[in-house]
Amino acid sequence: MALLEVLNLSIGYHTQKGYLHAVEDVSFSLEEGKSLGFVGESGCGKTTLGMALMRLLPPNGVIREGRMLFDGGDLLQKSDEEMREIRWQKIAMIFQAAMNALNPVHRVHEQIAEAILTHNASIDKKEAFEQVEELFQLVGIPKDRMRDYPHQYSGGMKQRAIIAMALACKPRLIIADEPTTALDVIVQDQILKEIMNLQKEFGISMIFISHDISIVADVCHDIGIMYAGKLVEHGSREEVFSNPAHPYTKALLSSYPTLTGEKGQLMPIPGETPNLIHPPSGCRFHDRCPGAKAACKTGEAVWVETSPRHKTLCYQCGADCGE
Amino acid sequence: MNLEKSHKRYLKKFPWMDRLRGGWAIYKQNLLGKIGLSLLVMFALMAICSFIPPLIDPMYQPMTGVDPEITKSTGPSLRHWLGTDFMGRDLLSQLLAGTRVAFLVGVSAAFMSIVLGTAIGMVAGYMGRFVDTFLMRLADMIMVMPTMLVVLMLAALFGQLTIWTIVLIIALFRWPGVSRVIRAQTLSLKHRPFIEAARVAGASHTRIIFRHIMPNVLPLSFLYMTFRVTSAIIIEAALAFLGFGDPSTVSWGMMLQWVWKTGHMFKAPYWLLPPGICISLITLAFYMLGRAMDEVLDPRLRKEAGTE
Amino acid sequence: MKMNNDRETIIELEHIVKKYTSRGFFFGTRGNEIIALNKISIKILKGEIFGLVGESGSGKTTAGRLIVRLEKPEEGRIYLNGREMAGLKGKALKNFHRKVQMIFQDPYQSLNPQLSVFDTISEPLVIHKIGNTEDREDAVWQTMKSVGLSPPDDFVNRYPHQLSGGQRQRVAIARAMVLNPDFVVADEPTSMLDASISAQIFNILIEMREKFQVTLLFITHSLSAARYLCDRIAVIYKGNMMELGSADQVIQKPRHPYTKALIDALPKFGLSGKVKHYNTLLPVEREASEHEGCPFFARCRVANKAKCSLERPLLKETDDSHWVACFYAENGTEKGF
Ligand SMILES: Nc1ncnc2c1ncn2[C@@H]1O[C@H](COP(=O)(O)OP(=O)(O)OP(=O)(O)O)[C@@H](O)[C@H]1O
Ligand SMILES: Nc1ncnc2c1ncn2[C@@H]1O[C@H](COP(=O)(O)OP(=O)(O)O)[C@@H](O)[C@H]1O
Ligand code: SF4
Ligand code: SF4
Ligand SMILES: [Mg+2]
Ligand SMILES: [Mg+2]
Repeated sequence: MALLEVLNLSIGYHTQKGYLHAVEDVSFSLEEGKSLGFVGESGCGKTTLGMALMRLLPPNGVIREGRMLFDGGDLLQKSDEEMREIRWQKIAMIFQAAMNALNPVHRVHEQIAEAILTHNASIDKKEAFEQVEELFQLVGIPKDRMRDYPHQYSGGMKQRAIIAMALACKPRLIIADEPTTALDVIVQDQILKEIMNLQKEFGISMIFISHDISIVADVCHDIGIMYAGKLVEHGSREEVFSNPAHPYTKALLSSYPTLTGEKGQLMPIPGETPNLIHPPSGCRFHDRCPGAKAACKTGEAVWVETSPRHKTLCYQCGADCGE
Repeated sequence: MNLEKSHKRYLKKFPWMDRLRGGWAIYKQNLLGKIGLSLLVMFALMAICSFIPPLIDPMYQPMTGVDPEITKSTGPSLRHWLGTDFMGRDLLSQLLAGTRVAFLVGVSAAFMSIVLGTAIGMVAGYMGRFVDTFLMRLADMIMVMPTMLVVLMLAALFGQLTIWTIVLIIALFRWPGVSRVIRAQTLSLKHRPFIEAARVAGASHTRIIFRHIMPNVLPLSFLYMTFRVTSAIIIEAALAFLGFGDPSTVSWGMMLQWVWKTGHMFKAPYWLLPPGICISLITLAFYMLGRAMDEVLDPRLRKEAGTE
Repeated sequence: MKMNNDRETIIELEHIVKKYTSRGFFFGTRGNEIIALNKISIKILKGEIFGLVGESGSGKTTAGRLIVRLEKPEEGRIYLNGREMAGLKGKALKNFHRKVQMIFQDPYQSLNPQLSVFDTISEPLVIHKIGNTEDREDAVWQTMKSVGLSPPDDFVNRYPHQLSGGQRQRVAIARAMVLNPDFVVADEPTSMLDASISAQIFNILIEMREKFQVTLLFITHSLSAARYLCDRIAVIYKGNMMELGSADQVIQKPRHPYTKALIDALPKFGLSGKVKHYNTLLPVEREASEHEGCPFFARCRVANKAKCSLERPLLKETDDSHWVACFYAENGTEKGF
């Protein structure tokens, strides 16, 4: 059975201008020990999805519909008390730009120990510090740098500390929201390797969120492509990259410069991401899709299975669309 | 190219009107702001109405008109809605005339001190080095001088001060606070990439100050102006109360002084209360206006309302 | 590629040294001296897109800022069209500002929030008193179309907060291009934007080059972006030039261990297993002196301790116009890389 199963999840925000459809009708499942990557342009609802899984949406956010089955139980049915126990203990999150949220006036290891103590009542201070030491070793922060203040750390080290914090309670699922954005290529590479190793070593499941398709390609078993609040393609990494089905995925892939292979012309996606207060009718991608037909504007896009582990949400896929 | 020229352009002459409208949309949602604005409209109407009573009958001249039938302070009546003072002058006409003076003093003193403070703050912040040091030391010196005391000394030296002298003095002594705020704002703007972009394009210092820095600090200046109005009105009232007002105009402070001097403080509430309440209300109104403006200028809120 | 044969130099940096002193903790104390650029020499040829690649803090932005005169070098000279820039005054200076422009990294910071799109783009024209109102409108409309802000009518009256990140960067590009400059510094113009939007911006920059014959210094931390855009690439590390050559040379046949490390670190689209790894980066930095030896020694796996820790390698031409600052660039070390 899958560790996490999300069914028909729809999330929105109440704003001054009206109701914003941030995530709409998203379903996916994640097996124990596997990793799933969500890719999409900024504002497509990736963070919202992650926050909803943690039940940490801001006050104006609402989960309108759907179920989030974690380990058999629906996270939406849990009380706040139960949820507090699940957070960190079972599901941990590496927040977007969390490394900038370290408190500058406290030493890093104290902050991590503090976090462990608040989420685990059964251990005392000494044990917590021992645990921190172990964790730091695990994520590759030298022992003599443990007692430093955040400003003495480089960006990469801060991010390692944040990862250590997420690992503290040996969760079964980690949600990593853009954990390497704003890091240099070399540091990013090191952190990604670290995350992958840890995930493998402890058999943790992971949801990895990024706007950079190339990173997700390196890290995850399965990939979900999101566009304007919808999941539009979902499949194994190999399938999605070697055989992209949705026109948006194809567009994303051909808009990304690579180091290897033919130095072809980049094909940027024309236009802008749609306004989610009044999302486009029919397929949300229709005004930017090179292969859009009249039906795409009105008809509801449907899930098409191109292979057992690969499906795409497109009105006319199957017939090769977007050509 | 020719086609291009014949094409009618949609370049708005005043695109900032839209932003004003957006700002108004936010302002409208603020209860304090609405109360403040209503109060100010009321006072403005009062100031405009101050011209009416003297036209009806010369005895309604606020300063010189005396009701021939009355020789002492009387309570409200049909003839004198708010009553009369000790000489039989109409209190309503005085109150209305006082509104005009309050606006005049408050707004013009505040305006002048804001212009001074903004200019000095921008120059100090932008030029830096010794210009900055010099201007800020000057500001410190003026800031530690108690305005009230200086005005009193000047009044003692030169006798009665006209209303414009008072305005000028308030302006001259009240710029340092503003200039400090504007200087800090300028410092934070100075190294922003958009200023650097202007420098790369070859803009002169004057152009950078007026075109790029000023529009970004003006909203803040304006906010401070609403608070300055409050303090200017209070200073003027206090001066008048202490007997240093301009003897050719009636102000609320002066009315209070007369109540006090003629010993009616506890005997004639109809005389004491209206100017007292008016001073509190008008300062409160400007304060509320400022608070609401504060919200309008908050960039986070502005963003919400501004995006299509 | 489509390079002119005459290969005239437009911008030349000669032995540039730029230092910053961070202010000390107490008043009057001098803090650390940071050498942002260390004896850098670059010749940028007319019409090319020259890529400057390096990690953050390597001095890329500093080089760009020196060229547009936002900063002054401590040592060395900068030439525009063979003329030294340092002494420019009056009319010559004004003329310089017409010819050299910059596109900044963060489009959320580089536009004045109080100016409409039209005012922003026409600003350089006003500064240089070019044309009358109508000419300026024409110029703005044309430029906006060429950076893909069309129809311009929809955008001229907007303010920055009403634009998306990609649109803002287009406005910034339009502002830089409206004067028809000879040389533009583009400082990581897409690092704050999504990958899909980046491609639009890249293509606009390439079009600009074709359309206006402008020379570009493209600053980036991404070798793949540099590969896509640039004719030549310089890799710098801690203010030192490491490798310089045509885009193909640097990316297909990198010779410097640092360049190789950069290439290794790039995401491989899930192909990590199948791609060749150079493996030139030490997993843990070794102790090294700040001032002596090769700047990359602390992280270099292929270093020869006896030599690299003591002596600074000079930039040497290894093959046709391919310059590398490493002792073992040509034949590898005894460890054989
Ligand atoms: N607190 C909020 N109130 C209102 N709208 C919100 C809020 N947070 C997010 N949104 C909107 O919800 C949509 C999805 O946002 P989300 O932050 O999940 O996107 P994202 O894909 O993670 O983007 P990014 O890469 O920029 O972080 C966007 O349109 C965003 O503007
Ligand atoms: N104004 C400044 N004051 C002090 N140090 C600076 C300043 N600007 C840049 N530096 C330092 O110079 C080095 C190079 O910076 P920069 O050119 O901005 O790098 P990059 O653009 O490659 O990120 C860095 O070590 C940086 O911290
Ligand atoms: S449904 Fe139509 S518009 Fe949408 S992705 Fe498929 S082909 Fe394009
Ligand atoms: S000179 Fe030595 S330390 Fe420097 S890059 Fe070459 S091999 Fe490495
Ligand atoms: Mg996000
Ligand atoms: Mg930079």
